[in-house]
Amino acid sequence: MDALRTAATGMAAQQTRVDVIANNIANMSTTAYASRSVVFADLIYRQEVAPGAISSTTGTVVPTGIQLGLGVQTAAVSMDIAQGALRQTGNDLDLAIEGRGFFEITLPSGEQAFTRDGKFEISPEGEMVTTAGFPLADGITIPNDARQIEISSDGEVFAYFDDAVGGQSIGALTLTSFVNAKGLEALGGNLYRETQASGQPITGQPGIEGLGFVSQGYLEESGVDVVSEISDLIEAQRGYELNSKVLSAADEMYASATRIR
Amino acid sequence: MDSSIATLSRQSGLLEATQLIANNIANASTVGYKSKGTIFSEYVASAGSGNPSLSMGYLTAQNTDFTTGALRKTDNTFDLAIDGEGFFKINTPEGLRLTRAGAFQLDADGMIVDSFGNPVVDEGGSAVEIPPDAVTVSFAKDGTMSVDGEIFGNIGVFRPTGEVERVGNNYWIATDGDVAVEEPNLIQGFLEQSNVSPVAEFAKLITTQRLFDAGQTLTEQEHDRLSNLIAAIRQQG
Repeated sequence: MDALRTAATGMAAQQTRVDVIANNIANMSTTAYASRSVVFADLIYRQEVAPGAISSTTGTVVPTGIQLGLGVQTAAVSMDIAQGALRQTGNDLDLAIEGRGFFEITLPSGEQAFTRDGKFEISPEGEMVTTAGFPLADGITIPNDARQIEISSDGEVFAYFDDAVGGQSIGALTLTSFVNAKGLEALGGNLYRETQASGQPITGQPGIEGLGFVSQGYLEESGVDVVSEISDLIEAQRGYELNSKVLSAADEMYASATRIR
Repeated sequence: MDSSIATLSRQSGLLEATQLIANNIANASTVGYKSKGTIFSEYVASAGSGNPSLSMGYLTAQNTDFTTGALRKTDNTFDLAIDGEGFFKINTPEGLRLTRAGAFQLDADGMIVDSFGNPVVDEGGSAVEIPPDAVTVSFAKDGTMSVDGEIFGNIGVFRPTGEVERVGNNYWIATDGDVAVEEPNLIQGFLEQSNVSPVAEFAKLITTQRLFDAGQTLTEQEHDRLSNLIAAIRQQG
C-alpha cells in the first residue's frame, strides 16, 4: 500500500508549499519582510534489489537495481534575507539598511531581538522605538526641543536646534550581522532572535566589515516577488491535484485487487 | 492455471510501478530529483517436460533519467545548480554523499552547508568556510569560489565512477567511488528543479492502471472458466 502513502506525502508537501506561499503573499507589503521558500527532499528508499547486486554465477552485476522511493519530505523552509527595494518616505526616523545587517532591539524582557524594519517612532520619554514600542538597543534619546534629526549613512545621529547652526551628535546607530542570517528565528512583528544556527551577533558601525549603510527617509520594501509567488502557487496547486489523482488511481487498483475470488 | 500465475507476476510488478510513479509525482517539486522508470523483462519458467515453457513479465530493474532538470532562478548567493553531469559532495555523519540539490546556505561557523546542515566539500574533500565579513561571494562555472573579488577556494563537482544508489534526503551514494569532473558547469543563483514530467508520469499512471485492470479481468474470467469447468465435470459425474 506504499503508493497511497507516497501520494499522501506528496500532497502534504504541496500543502506546506501553499502555506508558505500564502504567508509570503500576505506579507507582500510588510516592511523588510524576507520571503520564504520551501526546499523538498526525497524520503528513504526501500532497496528491493540493490544496484551492483550479483545477478549470475559469472559475476555479472545488476546495473540499476530496484529501489522503491517512499515519497517526499520538507527539508527546509529557507528565509531569503536579500536586499529589498527602498521606498522613499521622507520621514526623519524611517531608516533602511542598504546591504547586510539588522537593527538591534531590546525586548521588554530584556532580551535582544533584531529587525530590518527601520520604521522608528519616538516614545513619550523621547527614545527611538519600533512601532511596537520596543527601544533600539543603541539607546538613542531625541531631545524634545530638537528641530530636525539627521542620520548619516554610517549611523551618526545629529540633532538640530533652533539656537544653533550646526548639528549636535546625540549618539550613533550600530548594525548587527550574523554569519548565517537564514538561521535566525522569526518572532513575528518583523523581529528575529539569535539561535545556535545563526551564530553570534557581530555588531559594528554601518558601512564597515561588510555591514550595510543606513538610509534615512527610506523604508525597505517586502522581498516578496508576487509574480513568482503566483506561478509557484499554480505549480503547487497542480502538484497537489496530481498527487491526489495518484492516490485515487492506487486506491482503484487496490480495490480491483480485492475483487480476486 | 498458468495464465493466472503469469498475470499475477505481471500485476505485482505493476503495483511496484505505481509506487514508482507515485514517488516521481510526489517528488515533482524536489530540488535536483531524478525521475525513475521501470524495466519489465520476460522471465521464462519451465512448465514441466513436454509442455511449452511459461513466459512471465516481471519488474527487473529501474532506470534513472539523469537529464538536467529545468533551472530556476532564485538569485540566492548559495543556490547552485549543475548544468550537465556531476554531483556536489556532502560530508554527512553517515559518510560522504552525492547530491544534485544545490540549495545551500551558511551555518553558524560560516561553513557552506546543505538544507540538513551537512557541509559541502571542495575538490580536495574538505569543508568550505566563508569569512564572516564577506560581502560578495561568487562562484564561477568551474566551481571556483571568490570572496570580495579574490579567489578563495572552490566547490567540488564529482562524477561517480560506477553505479549510484539513492538513499533519500536528495543524497546518493557512489558505490564504486567518484572522480572530480574535468569541466563542470556550475551556475550560481539557480536551483535545478526535479526532472519529473508530470504529464508523462500521469500518462504512465493511467496505462499502468488499465494494464492492472486488464490483468484483473483476465484473472476473473479465468476464475469463471475454471468454476464452469468444475461445474460441468460435476454434472457429467
